[in-house]
Amino acid sequence: MSKKIIILFFIFFSLLSFKVIANSADQVNTDSEDFDTTTLEDEIYDPFEPVNRAIFSFNNVADRIVLEPIAKGYKKLPSPLQSGINNFLSNLRAPLVVVNQLLQGQGENAVQSSGRFIVNSTVGVFGLFDVAERIGLEEKEEDYGQTLATWGVGDGFYIVLPLFGPSNLRDTSGMVLTMLTDPINAYAVSEGEAWLVPMRTAVNAVDTRSQIIDEVNALRDNSVDYYAAVRSSYYQNRKAAINNVDDSELTPLPLISIEFE
Amino acid sequence: MKFKLIIFFFIIFFSKNLYSDETSDWLKREIDIILEAYKNQNLSNENRFLLIEKTINNNFAGTGIAKFVAGEAWKKSDKSTKKIYIDNFKRHLALNIASMMQGYSDQTYELTKSNYDIKNQVTLIDMEIFSDTGSVVVTWRVKESKDRFFVIDLIVADISLVVTKRSEFNSMLKKVDNDLSKFNEVLFDQNQLSFEKITQ
Repeated sequence: MSKKIIILFFIFFSLLSFKVIANSADQVNTDSEDFDTTTLEDEIYDPFEPVNRAIFSFNNVADRIVLEPIAKGYKKLPSPLQSGINNFLSNLRAPLVVVNQLLQGQGENAVQSSGRFIVNSTVGVFGLFDVAERIGLEEKEEDYGQTLATWGVGDGFYIVLPLFGPSNLRDTSGMVLTMLTDPINAYAVSEGEAWLVPMRTAVNAVDTRSQIIDEVNALRDNSVDYYAAVRSSYYQNRKAAINNVDDSELTPLPLISIEFE
Repeated sequence: MKFKLIIFFFIIFFSKNLYSDETSDWLKREIDIILEAYKNQNLSNENRFLLIEKTINNNFAGTGIAKFVAGEAWKKSDKSTKKIYIDNFKRHLALNIASMMQGYSDQTYELTKSNYDIKNQVTLIDMEIFSDTGSVVVTWRVKESKDRFFVIDLIVADISLVVTKRSEFNSMLKKVDNDLSKFNEVLFDQNQLSFEKITQ
């Protein structure tokens, strides 16, 4: 009962505070005169940049020392095993994906995701095999951050979370909501197996990191400001996820002029 | 009248598809040059990069992208500073693309989709890169000028290379009061570091 009250209070407080903070974030605009070719908005509200940069540096070191080597090792596992782990983790996320799709009014997607969960949990042996994909039930990710954005909640300020990486106020609240309402985690805790929760988070991190080893290294090795590059990447990626962009069609298009020397 | 309209739409539709196919063929040729360079064991790392750099410089709208990502600082700078900046930027762009393509060099790919954006006169070409555990889609944005094609942006996982570079450059330019000559020093140093990494 008390947990329910805490969650409701948290949601209420989040929504209330976001309206105030999001307004200030939305005031940051790019002067169209700054760029000859476009009026694309590229400023990100980052009032705690010095603190964020310090946490980012710490995360970067942790990544180099711990996460990247483990992810590289994981990448050497037989590919069916990697796919199995990825499918299993993805299937565990499915109940909350359905909840968020319903909260966003995506009835059809919610039915499809429920179908995926049922098929993969049974025929797909606890989600190890993505049988649903083969029968046309496509995977779609939705989280509380996206739901809040759909409800009109602004980004809030940019935050770099220790170990968890780039986020913003809205998405951090979404992440906390996920932790509090995830039925799989709740079941593990109720069964006295709370250790499974951090274990699941860690395996998730390794699995995700293993899929972007080359991209992260290319960005890290070639950036004049790696922090700003990651910040921009995070916002672009989230914007596309919120708008449910499957391809690049809705990504802002810089109108580059072609010049010859 | 109806018949003429149908013919008109047919021609528009057909020429658009033909145009997209032509762009895809050109892109495939250029991508293959880069990927083949990685597979060619006879090339030294330095020569391999120089070959890739040449291909990228020939096919990317380097000057236009350089101007775009510099933003406000561009207007304030003199001609010689701009020239140095463009040279630095082109190398920087080549290092970024080469580094990214290096990761894809041992994988297979397919150009899966090609759309012509009439409004912006840009062709969007999806390149799906397959690995044992899945695939990743890279979208190339291509523009035509003077009967030639030029890549104006690359998008990986909904992240635009050009938008990211502009954000990154603006952040660094703010630290040097939008002084492009000071920024040139930073960019040159970064290029040196990246060059050493890719050729080691």
